[in-house]
Amino acid sequence: MDTMLTYNVPMQETFGVWIAVYFYLTGLSAGSFILSTLRYVFGFEQFKPLAKPGVVLAALLLILAPLALLIHAGQPMRAWHLFVFINPSSPLSWGSFLLTIYPIISIIYGYFMFKENKKWAKILGIIGIPSAIAVHGYTGFVLSVAKARALWATPIMPLLFLVSAIISGIAMMMIVNVIQGYFFSKERKINTDLLFTLGKMLIWIIVFDLFLVFCDVIAHYTGHKEGMEVVKHMFTGTFGFLFLFAEVFVGKIVPLVVFSVPRWRRTSVYVIMAVIIMIGIFIMRYNVVVGGEHIPIV
Amino acid sequence: MKKRYAIGIDLNKCIGCHTCEIICKLENKVPISVWRIWVKEGLKGKFPLVRKAFLPVLCNHCENPTCVTVCPVKASIKREDGVVIVDPHRCIGCRYCMAACPYGMRHVNPLTGIVQKCDFCLHRIENNNQPACVLGCPAKAMVFGDLNDRNSEIYKFVIEKNVTVLKEDTGNHPQAFYAGLDFILADKKGMPE
Ligand code: SF4
Ligand code: SF4
Repeated sequence: MDTMLTYNVPMQETFGVWIAVYFYLTGLSAGSFILSTLRYVFGFEQFKPLAKPGVVLAALLLILAPLALLIHAGQPMRAWHLFVFINPSSPLSWGSFLLTIYPIISIIYGYFMFKENKKWAKILGIIGIPSAIAVHGYTGFVLSVAKARALWATPIMPLLFLVSAIISGIAMMMIVNVIQGYFFSKERKINTDLLFTLGKMLIWIIVFDLFLVFCDVIAHYTGHKEGMEVVKHMFTGTFGFLFLFAEVFVGKIVPLVVFSVPRWRRTSVYVIMAVIIMIGIFIMRYNVVVGGEHIPIV
Repeated sequence: MKKRYAIGIDLNKCIGCHTCEIICKLENKVPISVWRIWVKEGLKGKFPLVRKAFLPVLCNHCENPTCVTVCPVKASIKREDGVVIVDPHRCIGCRYCMAACPYGMRHVNPLTGIVQKCDFCLHRIENNNQPACVLGCPAKAMVFGDLNDRNSEIYKFVIEKNVTVLKEDTGNHPQAFYAGLDFILADKKGMPE
């Protein structure tokens, strides 16, 4: 139709990059926590070297993550309001409690792990897994409950977030494993078996993640008006580049191919891929949070 | 009886003078570069058949407001009389409400960091005055009042005219009623090219 907009008002930024950083950090934390439970809860002995760094990183990152929230908030000194005035219908309100409980659980879990108290480490790990899932899963709800933006308001958002959290967690553990072997082990030897096992795990999780992204795109593309706008926005322009090229192609498909070729099983290749994956997941968070709110709603 | 404030805008009368925008800024000391009500403008058609279409947009004071659902500290509240307000002493400035409002009707105050919005000029309506935008409109395109009062202008407006609301599918039950809404303009979003 021959209609053009001649006057409108620009929107202010709402969530912005700090919330993307925050989602990224909680994701890394949840991912590394889950990896660290592989030995103490599920008993996979080959993951033993990851258990301790995993839990230390999980606790550290989760203590860092709320700092991003404080930077973002307009009145950070009022953060205590979150614990006094509670709104059960708001995911951010759930989050304030998850963000307190989860680091405590992971610190106690880490304490028992360092004491080599297997029984209690297992119990704490079992309590910790749901709380790790909750602490990252709720960030998916933060977006899917905010129904204003079609890109966010999808039911698979929490799942999408959890899967990408595990991907970034595994990638970080690959790097940790190499650093640990190179600098901290007695014989200065990298545990390549573990590195390649992690790579193999990543193949399947990345495939699952790509499948979820595909579902999301298809549902938006064939869905209602706003969903179609989302697809147009994410496939063209700056976000087209960030989404299609940086996030999906470089961040997921390239590592997927590299990990599936046995001939490229080298430590250096795997480390580079792990770094790329970690950057790719950060771009994914950025695309979802900032890309989602860049689609005009008024 | 409980009041239920609502606003009605007759777009057939709107002349696109932007008075509501300016008067709201003056009345409520709205910070620079943000607006609580503004007039979207569009140009329809090609010469010689052209028309300017106007759409004043403001907070809809929804019956089921997303902003209130998501506020983690209950700083955004829906009052008994239907007005949705932000408690300036409680808001932590997380901007979640801004992200969640389907109408994009909230803004953050750059000086205090808290989120603000249209409150139907609470200080005026509590003294039985009209909101500034309604009073200022030279074309008398806006009516304001209590929907539960059968003699009020807004009640007559909603009954007598074919009214509609913006983004009805959000389930928010907006309380800003439009007569003569042009959906082509309402669908155009973002900044003019
Ligand atoms: S229009 Fe937006 S800010 Fe106003 S009540 Fe509805 S959801 Fe809240
Ligand atoms: S910015 Fe203020 S009013 Fe909005 S959700 Fe956060 S605390 Fe509530």
